[in-house]
Amino acid sequence: MRKRVIAALLTAALTAGVLTGCGEPKKRVNEDGESVITIWSPSDEPAIEEWWVEKIEAFNQAHEGTIELRREAIVRADSYAYEDKVNAAITSNDLPDILYVDGPNVSIYAANEVTLPLDDFFSEEEWSDFFDSSKQQNTYNGHIYAVGATESSVALYYNKDLLDAAGIDVPDSKEDAWTWSEYYDAAKKLTRDGVVGTNIIMDKGEGLSYVLGQFWISNGTDFVNQEGSSAEGYLNSQEGVEAAEFLNSLIRDGYANIDPIQKEFHNGKAATMLGGSWEVATLEKDYPDLNWGVTYFPVADENGILTSPTGDWAASVTKNVQDMDAVKEVMRFLFSEENVTTYAQAISKPPTRVSSYDVLTEYNEYPRSVFKEQLMETGHPRPRTPSYSVLTAEFAEAMLNIFTGVDPKEALDAAAAAMDKDYNKYYAKD
Amino acid sequence: MKKSINKISERRAAYIFILPAVVLLAAFLIYPSLQTVRYAFTDYNIMRPDRIVFCGLNNFTELLKDEDFWIAVKNTLYFTVLVVPFQTVLALALALLISSRRKGVSIFRAAYFSPQVTSMVVVAILWTVMYNSSPDSGLLNALLVKLGLEPCGFLNDPKTAMNSIIFMSAWQGAGYQMMIFLAGLQGISREQYEAASIDGAGKIQSFFYVTLPGLKSVIQYVVMITVIQAMKLFTQPYVMTKGGPQNSTRTLVYYIYEQGFQKRNFGYACAVAAVFFVIVISLSLGMKKIIKAE
Amino acid sequence: MTKRKTFEKFAFYFGNTLIALIFVSPLIWMISSSLKPESEIFKGLNSLSTFFPKGASLSNYIEVFQRINMWKFIGNSLFYVLVIIVLDLLVNSICGYALAKFEFRGKNLLLTLVISLMVFPAEAIMLPMYREMADLGWINSWASLIVPFVAKCFSIYMFRQFFLGIPDELLEAASIDGCGPVRTFFRVVMPISGTVYATIFILDFVAHWNDFMWPLLVVTGEEKRTIQLAIQTFFGSKPINYGPIMASLTISAIPMLIMFIFLQKYYVEGIASTGIKG
Repeated sequence: MRKRVIAALLTAALTAGVLTGCGEPKKRVNEDGESVITIWSPSDEPAIEEWWVEKIEAFNQAHEGTIELRREAIVRADSYAYEDKVNAAITSNDLPDILYVDGPNVSIYAANEVTLPLDDFFSEEEWSDFFDSSKQQNTYNGHIYAVGATESSVALYYNKDLLDAAGIDVPDSKEDAWTWSEYYDAAKKLTRDGVVGTNIIMDKGEGLSYVLGQFWISNGTDFVNQEGSSAEGYLNSQEGVEAAEFLNSLIRDGYANIDPIQKEFHNGKAATMLGGSWEVATLEKDYPDLNWGVTYFPVADENGILTSPTGDWAASVTKNVQDMDAVKEVMRFLFSEENVTTYAQAISKPPTRVSSYDVLTEYNEYPRSVFKEQLMETGHPRPRTPSYSVLTAEFAEAMLNIFTGVDPKEALDAAAAAMDKDYNKYYAKD
Repeated sequence: MKKSINKISERRAAYIFILPAVVLLAAFLIYPSLQTVRYAFTDYNIMRPDRIVFCGLNNFTELLKDEDFWIAVKNTLYFTVLVVPFQTVLALALALLISSRRKGVSIFRAAYFSPQVTSMVVVAILWTVMYNSSPDSGLLNALLVKLGLEPCGFLNDPKTAMNSIIFMSAWQGAGYQMMIFLAGLQGISREQYEAASIDGAGKIQSFFYVTLPGLKSVIQYVVMITVIQAMKLFTQPYVMTKGGPQNSTRTLVYYIYEQGFQKRNFGYACAVAAVFFVIVISLSLGMKKIIKAE
Repeated sequence: MTKRKTFEKFAFYFGNTLIALIFVSPLIWMISSSLKPESEIFKGLNSLSTFFPKGASLSNYIEVFQRINMWKFIGNSLFYVLVIIVLDLLVNSICGYALAKFEFRGKNLLLTLVISLMVFPAEAIMLPMYREMADLGWINSWASLIVPFVAKCFSIYMFRQFFLGIPDELLEAASIDGCGPVRTFFRVVMPISGTVYATIFILDFVAHWNDFMWPLLVVTGEEKRTIQLAIQTFFGSKPINYGPIMASLTISAIPMLIMFIFLQKYYVEGIASTGIKG
């Protein structure tokens, strides 16, 4: 009993210590005097976990006596969990040296000076080997703040048997990509016998901005202005409202489900699907009986701009870094031609370096070639704004409201106003 | 008792007994809560812990004008008022169903408790199937259509979304309160029932004259914690509806999380939390008064 | 008479079975899905066959154990959850007992405080608490997983409610036998309160076993990774495969079920025989 009382008193004393402040940040050096560089990245598939172990070992061997590289796999869950963890580390200045972040969040961290510019990490010639789509996503205010090894894209998957039965042909070049009307008509014809015409990623979260945002771009507008400071007149522009109305027509008329059950397309319950590049591997591996194909992302009816989603996780360097030269060394290693290639191969995603495609020849063949072509020629990143987290949450909410009967203009006005309010509160004065 | 035990030794024992809990509560509940209240008067953005500026009552004046906040207050109260009686009665019914000493009772007990040990991920997947708005994939809608009724939007209709969550929450949470009722039922001695049955009381009478009075303090406790848990509703809207559609399932705690973490508006979220504290504390004090007055 | 008894028995089992099925179906679906190949899991969800795997296979379980160090994470979770519970049962029961049976200055204030503090949602105080952990240097330590959760207003209040029901005569008898208040509690009160302790044990275990958000914030790396964090690794990158998820969720449910069944006997025995009224 008495012991416990003492323990409790100790706790109280410790707590009192809290109130009086804390010490200097710890020196990031190990016992052997090597600079310790820590990486946080999402925990991943076994192939990628192995890749990390192998590469870190190689790096540490080559830099014995100078640098020790460590990686901590952070549970990602939905992407919010990972961000909550980063948010917490920001409050206590506990960030690792290198932090992996999801593409659209690069601007948020950059604008808040949580991460640092990396322009001089690679020479101009080296940078030119990276995809524009990836560099665009990772650029804020004219500087590059993150480097990614892989990309993603979304295209229209279709069930060949169902399309044949309905007598529908699909376009085989991106210039002939279905217009919204063609897409709608196809979905209409294909909806029957308990099968819906299409599936438009309704995850009520980030998937909506990632995929549906392209409908704004295709119709000649975007979510925000060039500077990323305002959504007013973009998200809720006439073109934007048209995009929302089109998407709503698919749901309202019953050609797509507002709440699709997982793997609706895979199980033959949806005839088409706006699906990510990552689905190719799943369909090949787990659904060998499904007779499927992929075609290009649909485009707006009149003078529609060819477009497709892009963006993936990328590595950035945080403000808590102590040994910048060592970090540069690590980053140049991680994103070398060879390592981008092997990483992309391990994770089966399209690489960001043009030269990697000389090795990964499967991307020259259908169906993967569709994604590569989109990435190189029609890809548009998600909006770059420090208020992205507000924007994307508001957009998802607005779409859900529109799909349940709210006037599109009204819903988008509210979302645009919320985003602008956040920008004006925190960033307009910077 | 008071006469026989030395008063001083009782008091000393009391302080020793409460000390560990009090110290820990002070360090890990009261202290961070006070911090939360302090941040409510700042413009703390989660990304900028080194640029926190005191902003007076700004957050609170903004709150008063914030429609979403008031909707969240309304939703939270609505949920609480409906789910508490529903879930308490359900829990008591389940507890009574299995309070007998028949063989196999432990299996049923485990079954009723099982939604508590089933992951929310699984629960959410299955209930979205149950509630799916298309009669082709939604179980309940398939049933409605078979009965010749109109299909219902459930989670995708602002009119029914909250009710759907209430129903699901009661189903999932009742096992928890059932355990507490079971513990309470053990406290009613068999002699009391025997005495009642000798007096000619049937099952129903002995429920009203023995069981209910015997459970009085347990019922108070259960109602109290159900109210508190209901006020804190977060997981179900987070996993199943993201507060929508049309704000219909946005609760206060969901709003705190959404503003503070997702939108990184931490100072503002703390202001919501501070108001939330005030609402619920006055509610629980009110409940304590009512209980005392009886 | 016997006819009526038989009917009652039938009604009891029939009714309970029916209701039990409604409650237990998600659990069954989870187990059944964990035995299916990926492509079967979401097929025919609206038919009964979804509850029965065709040609069950353990391959999802094999994958789970190959991919992550499941035993270690189960061990980690068991360790910190059990430590919390043991401390919780002790710290909160003595506090609840003091509130129920002792007279002391500040008693009413403390009771009011306990009731009010129950309402503080974790989501609202998580960040300040994290900062506190960082200042204490507790990030990535067992202390940060355990110490903040030992004192719990729910438990204090529940203990108090139940100790209120213990008749004063019983305590008086103990004190006549020469027991001081501390000894009375440990020798007389604790042994007859198994049901309450078991109840809080169960509720605590389930709550902390399922903890996700807090361990995520304070634990980095595999050393102290908890089972819930480990399960979330399967949600990491797209495409999400539900087979291993269902398998790991099933594995995670097993300790809870074992614990539940193990503690059942405290419910069967009850405390009715000890002469305590509710």
